[in-house]
Amino acid sequence: MNQLGSTRADDNVAHLAWNGDLLAATPVTGDILVLDIATRDVGSRPGHGLGNGDSAWFGGQLATCGFDGRIRLAGREIHAGRGMIERVKASPEGGFLAAGQAKSLLVFDRDGRPARGLGGLPCAVADFAWGPGNPDDSPRVALVGAGGARMWRLGDAEPFARFDWGGASLRAEWSPCGRWLATADQTPSVHIYDFTKNNPLHIQGFEAKVRAMAFSADGSRLATGGAPVVTVWPCTGPNGPDGATPLQLDGHDADVSAAAFSPANGKLATGDATGVVLIFTFKGERVLRKRLRLDAGISSLAWHASRDWLGVGMDEGTAAVLSLES
Amino acid sequence: MCTGLENFAQDSCILRRSGLFGVMDRTPVTILTGFLGAGKTTLLNRILTEEHGLRVAVIENEFGEIGIDHDLVINADEEIFEMNNGCVCCTVRGDLIRILGNLMKRREKFDHILIETTGLADPGPVVQTFFADDEMRERLFVNAVVTLVDARHILLHLDDSDEAREQIAFADVILLNKCDLVGADDLARLEARIRRMNALAKIHRTTNAGIEIPKVLEVGGFNLDHAMEVDPHFLDGHHHHHHADNVTSVGIEADGDCDGQALNEWLSTTVREQGADIFRMKGVFALKDRPDRIIFQGVHMIMNAANGGPWGARPRRNRLVFIGRNLDRAALNAGFRACLEQPA
Repeated sequence: MNQLGSTRADDNVAHLAWNGDLLAATPVTGDILVLDIATRDVGSRPGHGLGNGDSAWFGGQLATCGFDGRIRLAGREIHAGRGMIERVKASPEGGFLAAGQAKSLLVFDRDGRPARGLGGLPCAVADFAWGPGNPDDSPRVALVGAGGARMWRLGDAEPFARFDWGGASLRAEWSPCGRWLATADQTPSVHIYDFTKNNPLHIQGFEAKVRAMAFSADGSRLATGGAPVVTVWPCTGPNGPDGATPLQLDGHDADVSAAAFSPANGKLATGDATGVVLIFTFKGERVLRKRLRLDAGISSLAWHASRDWLGVGMDEGTAAVLSLES
Repeated sequence: MCTGLENFAQDSCILRRSGLFGVMDRTPVTILTGFLGAGKTTLLNRILTEEHGLRVAVIENEFGEIGIDHDLVINADEEIFEMNNGCVCCTVRGDLIRILGNLMKRREKFDHILIETTGLADPGPVVQTFFADDEMRERLFVNAVVTLVDARHILLHLDDSDEAREQIAFADVILLNKCDLVGADDLARLEARIRRMNALAKIHRTTNAGIEIPKVLEVGGFNLDHAMEVDPHFLDGHHHHHHADNVTSVGIEADGDCDGQALNEWLSTTVREQGADIFRMKGVFALKDRPDRIIFQGVHMIMNAANGGPWGARPRRNRLVFIGRNLDRAALNAGFRACLEQPA
């Protein structure tokens, strides 16, 4: 392992996002940093008052949001509302940028103009996930919150699918293969929805609320973490994780706070609040584990799209880039 | 149901579960309730602008009466998360879980967090958020529920608004505001009626929400050390009821020692069967063969108990207050007295 660079943000680095060799590091408060591979700041953006939401790259520009209810794209304010905004996300094909604000999903086109948003929803948008790109179809988005998940095609008057349950979901991940939607819930549980079967699977028994969740780039694995054990669910075959025995990967000293699969090579990185980072490499039935201990608790992880480089955000404000290339 | 009182005889377990200890490491939260026009925004503005030495973050409902433009204010949309098939004690506020989760990641922590609810909000889910969610319980604690009451107009709502009555029932502090608009006799009658509904709250008469800020922010209403600061008159049993509110306080006082197991079973059964109608509970118990006081409090079906230290020179006198809706005073008294050890 080789550290390519590190720098300090104003606060806990809660989110990281790569765009080529640029890394956006979003702290919970203060300026949002845009770093080159040596972690030199090449264009920081102003923060959003009491709290920043997760940032996203959109058309080569950085979109930021926060508790001030504002969204900025390339330094230009494209939305100003009253309610907090917790994250912006770009659609996989890059045509739309979206953000949840109270009971609305705000959607913008490449020029930052409002486009086919969803308003007057029955519950607030706790999180959302874009479906994988499909040039023959309208962009799809899954909204989660109280009562479960609703799947929409932009522009439609009604959701095309819904998964109801008696609790609430806080985070959503749509597998890149399009088959699975996973939600991390208010209770220590995960829902995995199989679109091919319209069959929700409710997995309970976690020691703690699931705070970290990631699909592999091919959609064949789902990693979940909340307690110190990382669980990797197989998402292949006719039933996926239903009835399968998941991998239970240990090595952390505290609850897992971040998880990310490399789009380049399928490695899984997980981090915990004591500064332990585990790198898992899947080789057939075998799982190889590399253990790193960093100087502060891990708050966010993000892999470079094509290199074996890992962005690491820490709770005391450090943003670092590690190279795992030999 | 989450009683937290599995066994009085093993209260070390209860201590761990209580979530009310080690408060020095956690950030206090004050919940501000009150009907539309009661003066919440006036009080919030004072807290944000007056010099009181505390760095206070305010979470304001997005649809508040008048939005406050201040860099320490976060606007949110009240969002109820029902869990466990609608169990009333597991209903929490999703917006607060997400906002506070983010605020707790900050390096520079706030000294205090103040949550304003809408005039029509049920305070229950707000309070329960800090007991039912592990992360909230570990990092924050409820300091107090503060309810503003519009002294001139509250009577228009008390008879037909569940929310108005519940806001009074949940309160640790009640600001009887706009007192300058009400005559002395009417004010006295109103205060007496509110006192019958909530025997535990401190009541302050104010005009323009004028009160020393520490009386709002430094209350410790959910601190078990203050569990039984009850008006002694309330427990003496000589009340003159002029108005039949369905929200009332029931106070019980009895000398002697309780059978811990019987008390545990009775309380568990009571909250299981009536928890939806019980807003707050507080009590101090003397248990057989236990030299120390056991203090407890609860919200709906969530209860906490702890060792309250030696009785010392105080008489071993049990005191218990329920605040709730349609409470059966006689049945509660009989149920508690059945838990008392019978003299040999």
